[in-house]
Amino acid sequence: MAQFWEFFTFELKLRAKSLSTYVYFALWFFLSFLCIAAEDFLNTGNDKVLLNGPFATTAIYIIFSFFGCIVIAALFGTSILRDFQRDTYQIIFTKPITRFAYLGGRWAGSFVTTVLVFTGLIFGEAAGTLAPWADHTRIAHGAFHWYVHAFLIVTVVQIFFLGSIFFTIAALTRKLFVVYLQGVVFFAVYLVINAIFNATRSLEHFWSAIFDPVGLRLLDAVTRYWTPVEQNTLQLPWSGVCLYNRLVWMGVGVLSLIVVYALFPLSVETLTSVSQGRRAARERENDASAAQGARSLVAARLPIIHQVFNASTTLAQFVSLTRIRIRNIFTELPFWAIFCVMVMYAMLQGHFAGHFQDQNVYPVTFLMLDAVRGNSFILLLVVATLYAGELVWRERDTHFDGIHDALPMRESTDWLSRLAALAAIELVLLTVVMLCGILSQTFAGYFHYELIEYFKELYVIVFPQVLIYTLFALFLQTVLKNKFIGHGIVIGSFVLLAVLQAHGWEDTLYLFGNTPSYTYSDMNGYGHFVPALFWSITYWLSIAAFLGVLSIGLAMRGADDGWAARMRLFRHRTPRLMPAAVAFVLIAIGSGSWYFYNTHVLNEFLSAPQRRDIQAQYERDFKKYQFLPQPKVIAVDANVDIYPEHRSFSGTGHYVLQNKTAAPISQIHIVDTQQSISNVRFDRPFHKVSSSKRDLYTIYALDQPLAPGEKLNMNFSVGYNSRGFRDGGERPELAYSGTFFDVGYFPTIGYDPGFELTDPRRRREQHLGPVTDLPQRGDPLGSRTNLFTKDSDWITYNTVVSTSDHDSEGKPQIALAPGYLQRDWHQNGRHYFAYSMGDVKTLDFFAYVSARYDVKRDVFQGVNGPINIEVYYDPHHPYDVDDMIASSKAGLAYYERNYSPFEFKQFRILEFPRYRAFAQSFPNTVPYAESGFIGRVVNPQEDIDRTYFVTAHELAHQWWGHQLIGGAVAGSNMMSESLAEYSALRIAQKKYGDDQMHKFLKHELDGYLRGRASEAHKEPPIVLVQREAYVWYQKGSLVMYGLADFIGEDKVNLALHNFLMQYRYANASDNQDAPYPDTRQFVAALRAQTPPEYQYYITDAFENIVLYDNKALTATYVKTPDKKYKVTLTVQARKLKSDGSGNETPMPFADYIDIGVFSGKKGHEKTLYLQKKKFTQPKQTFEIVVDQLPTRAGIDPINKLIDRIPDDNTIDVTKP
Amino acid sequence: MALTISGLSKTYPNGVKALRNLSLTIGNEMFGLLGPNGAGKSSLMRTVATLQDPDSGSVTLDGIDVLKDKNAVRRVLGYLPQEFGVYPRMSALDMLHHLAIMKGISNKTERNQMVDALLNQTNLWAARKKSLSTYSGGMKQRFGIAQALLANPKLIIVDEPTAGLDPAERNRFLNLLSSIGSNVTVILSTHIVDDVRELCPRMAIIASGQVLLEGSPAAALDLLNGKIFSKVVATDDELRALEASFSVISTHLVGGLHEVRIYAGTNPGADFKPVDSGLEDVYFLNLATQAASQAAN
Repeated sequence: MAQFWEFFTFELKLRAKSLSTYVYFALWFFLSFLCIAAEDFLNTGNDKVLLNGPFATTAIYIIFSFFGCIVIAALFGTSILRDFQRDTYQIIFTKPITRFAYLGGRWAGSFVTTVLVFTGLIFGEAAGTLAPWADHTRIAHGAFHWYVHAFLIVTVVQIFFLGSIFFTIAALTRKLFVVYLQGVVFFAVYLVINAIFNATRSLEHFWSAIFDPVGLRLLDAVTRYWTPVEQNTLQLPWSGVCLYNRLVWMGVGVLSLIVVYALFPLSVETLTSVSQGRRAARERENDASAAQGARSLVAARLPIIHQVFNASTTLAQFVSLTRIRIRNIFTELPFWAIFCVMVMYAMLQGHFAGHFQDQNVYPVTFLMLDAVRGNSFILLLVVATLYAGELVWRERDTHFDGIHDALPMRESTDWLSRLAALAAIELVLLTVVMLCGILSQTFAGYFHYELIEYFKELYVIVFPQVLIYTLFALFLQTVLKNKFIGHGIVIGSFVLLAVLQAHGWEDTLYLFGNTPSYTYSDMNGYGHFVPALFWSITYWLSIAAFLGVLSIGLAMRGADDGWAARMRLFRHRTPRLMPAAVAFVLIAIGSGSWYFYNTHVLNEFLSAPQRRDIQAQYERDFKKYQFLPQPKVIAVDANVDIYPEHRSFSGTGHYVLQNKTAAPISQIHIVDTQQSISNVRFDRPFHKVSSSKRDLYTIYALDQPLAPGEKLNMNFSVGYNSRGFRDGGERPELAYSGTFFDVGYFPTIGYDPGFELTDPRRRREQHLGPVTDLPQRGDPLGSRTNLFTKDSDWITYNTVVSTSDHDSEGKPQIALAPGYLQRDWHQNGRHYFAYSMGDVKTLDFFAYVSARYDVKRDVFQGVNGPINIEVYYDPHHPYDVDDMIASSKAGLAYYERNYSPFEFKQFRILEFPRYRAFAQSFPNTVPYAESGFIGRVVNPQEDIDRTYFVTAHELAHQWWGHQLIGGAVAGSNMMSESLAEYSALRIAQKKYGDDQMHKFLKHELDGYLRGRASEAHKEPPIVLVQREAYVWYQKGSLVMYGLADFIGEDKVNLALHNFLMQYRYANASDNQDAPYPDTRQFVAALRAQTPPEYQYYITDAFENIVLYDNKALTATYVKTPDKKYKVTLTVQARKLKSDGSGNETPMPFADYIDIGVFSGKKGHEKTLYLQKKKFTQPKQTFEIVVDQLPTRAGIDPINKLIDRIPDDNTIDVTKP
Repeated sequence: MALTISGLSKTYPNGVKALRNLSLTIGNEMFGLLGPNGAGKSSLMRTVATLQDPDSGSVTLDGIDVLKDKNAVRRVLGYLPQEFGVYPRMSALDMLHHLAIMKGISNKTERNQMVDALLNQTNLWAARKKSLSTYSGGMKQRFGIAQALLANPKLIIVDEPTAGLDPAERNRFLNLLSSIGSNVTVILSTHIVDDVRELCPRMAIIASGQVLLEGSPAAALDLLNGKIFSKVVATDDELRALEASFSVISTHLVGGLHEVRIYAGTNPGADFKPVDSGLEDVYFLNLATQAASQAAN
């Protein structure tokens, strides 16, 4: 024991003297400090989740303890390796020490040290809460016990078992390399496995949580559906999966300690034979081979050679140097470790390139490039950083510099060969990335290889960016005297860039190596991103090249490393380097100036905070006008000329405005958020009262007020002229092919709350109160306001739109807008299209689209005559066109039969570039992003056909949104989104069957529960929904489907039909200013079709937030004499009511819940019995007789109800 | 070829004065540089090998200013540093080929011939394809010699070349060096007196950055002829007594007894016997004199 104590205290003393101990502590301290003090540093939850609450603390500790595995490896590994590195083992192991004292002392010392080092997390977090600039609305005080609990359950346990494993591996291998590598390997392997698991979107949360050593999966499994209130009060418990997980891993730790105790040899001989044996043997062998044969002692004369020094010698030197440097890297294990990680990542990401959210897609080249490039870029930077250090320092590190530096070569040859070697390595890695991408496409059965796209992306765009960092790293390593400081600065600057960018320092011109973001699109290629990319890369590459020239001047050569000596060499080398230095500086100045001229002079440069300032200022200045009575738009007539090759358009517009209020209106307020309106005129005398900066908000006064019911003509110019390029933030609406802008470019009459800031944190920054909710149902003004277009009820619409017959590729484009094509003609190299809706009134919601299109047409025989279905698609994407047409036909058939006749004679789907990813339903016209045109169904049994689904959803909006429009009050959004979602589900169900729908609904349940867990505001019941997408989509489909399960599809559709027929086209005729329908009428329509015993479901599901906690307790079966099986099933049912923040209270209940018995394996059950039973008691037992051998049984087995733990609803049926 | 070193001074940032106004002239010959550790030998060699600039002074090689036109010197230089390492996982063959290219041997046939010849001469032929990092200390030293002799250098600077070589290899190396022939300047730095005695027609002894003696070993020996006496004593006390009364040059242990050599104009008697002088006596005497003069200062 005394010996143990000796080793233990020795270890502690040694660590106390080591600088690294304090550096590690400081590292954890600051990381943890920043998490609290700088909100953006690590996002652990939404605005309602405390930054230092139990959930956030646990998440922070898990993440940093995970990163800490490298530190754990270093601390534990070196403690056991120290004696072998310093060759003191010969001394130690010849003394009479016990295994326990030696191993135990070292291990315990390391454990205590590591735990103390990691307490930096606790102290850092505590210190962060005191930072005066921190967001104190999200910090709880006196929370020290939270830190300690999380530290114990997460960090200490992890240090114990990881440390023990690393200790054991280090003790048994005794190789420094292994010590450092094992941490990295653990890190990488875990990330890969975690990524795979995430990508499968599995809803399995038990075994994955138990066997997760780090805790990311465990935390997810336990807290997945925790509401903010729970996240701020509950800890990871020492029970359930948490306990099992911790026990499993502590067990692994103990096991590894037993292993090391049993296997560690405590004798010098055994130890030596492993650590030194092979090396000594090799030397002996070499010496022996040299000694063979007797040689004359007389020296033979050496041959005479001729030295040549000319340009080709310089080249030969350069090539030879580069070659051995590349060879040096290729023969190193760490390089291959990085290489393998890279390949693993690329193949993994490549595999999932064809999985876009929950659907399969064709792994087209841009998706594949996105997938394989992302992580590879980081790894390439790691290679650049690491090997810049190795290459610059190799001669010195290996003590070869004496010979190397005296060779007759120029510094530039030597230095450039380092650059060339690194560049070559990076090119090799990029090629590997490309091959991984191509291979992944092949595996996915996609054979349309676009090598030129790979080439452009990887070699022309990514490679120069890597090169910029390579030059930077080489420069640092050349100038600095310490390799590791160099590494630190490179990585630090990379992190710093991200931090700066997050805080509004966004200018490419001062963010080192930065390029503006860009998106490749099959419709457009790199399109309008090319100039900004080219000039930013030129700018930074020439600056980096200048640093390179500087490095050549400052490169160390010879024994003297003092600055005086280096400056002397520098002055000596300057004349030769001057021309290159000047050239690069000139290129940098030139390209930088051109970049500045484009991004700051031709265009206004606004950082994200500046843009938020504009939004906030707008709200502060003009919010007071929100309820100012304004006339409504009742007719729109516009001429729009699109110039796709200039990413511009111009035109004129004509509005007819009508005063639908009872009082005269003397001021017209016009909002122009896109800087696209000018030249506003009215048909009577008027003057401009005021106009805010950028013409965002302009007030006009009519000399003679507009009387109630009176109409007013308003004319204006509309257009936007793209000039030069921007520093990111290019308008996605304008493209060389795929122009798509909507009514947002046209004048908005009256204050538009849509331009307000919505993120609560940003609003707090701007000292704005909470964002205004939609008013309650029945609000006099809100009820009379159109939910979608505040400044209009219904309009008549006519337009002429033209586009180029010779666009940037010299090809003709097609221009589209809602309405029926009246005629089209060519004039002056342009193609004109006149569209009109005729007498049909529509929502004031239109769009202009122009692109190079292929068109596929079909006709559906609707109840009121033929309906033309047209899909306008990019020639690259023919895949899903038929699917879209099929969905449109199925939808038209179902909706016309169940809801009402289709209002229009055409339905068109238009592809637009993937700068934005959505589909949107304009009258009879649906622009749909590129991502929807590459959907793919590999296995119809398993895959969700999202394109089919979304098409049906958008088509359904032609009813729910274009026929039925709600008032601008709480809840109305669900009448468009939830009903479109429900409609689409029905269409998909008809094609893919019930089982698929259950699977889909399971994901919807998960989405809803996670959505409410991250609710930053408060969750409303669905009929009062404000802007919570997870409520109107996911909860919407769950409750609509749930209701249909009670009362039947027919009854639900009948309710919808009645509701629609009563309230559609509200306010559609001029002069009409009546209330729009809201969810009260909607609920009434549902209730009318629902029998009394199920009315409670509508109250629960639609008007409240109700959660079930159902659970199967026991299930046994006995064989009956008539060869049947009698199942005895005991289940628990609980119903809870939740408030908007997630506080739950139990509810009494008399509910009908499914009871089911199944045969077959879990996951592939066949239904033997499924019936609704009335529940009044929390615990009930059922006896059910089935024909076949039962395997599973339970309550609400196919998860029709909202239940936070759906997995425990069924259990195995066993013999008693 | 002639190397002229004049007035070389160098003070390191830590205050150590490595060279103090040192001047030497070295012709086409094998020139031995003797001195104790820290005498400034390596500093001098590095300066001549273009790896270090002096604070003052000049070095010229046949009219080339070594300090300015470094690359001109490097082309004719063969340099073996005192300590050097190798790239891991590179074979001697590949490395020599690389260095041959670097030294401007552009003709491939010549390069092959030279590399093969050197591998044979340094007895590395059998191990030529083995990784350098697996070489033993002696083999590594031989590789160092081989690379220094690539490209028929006109100026060869070898710093402690025989350290780490076994006696047979040492002889072989010395033979090789002496066979390289005329019109080559070789500077051999060592603290092994025998290396110089066996090889160098001219030599210098330096200590504390200064030249103590420059000339031919024979001439230096002549000066000491008949002035070295030796005595064998048994105990440390006797040795101390001798040190107090005579200028002791050196002591050796012979069979457990101290053999003391002193320098004196005439036989001091007291059992001292006259003995033949050796180069080692020259070396030690110079060092002792310098130490004494420094102590006097």
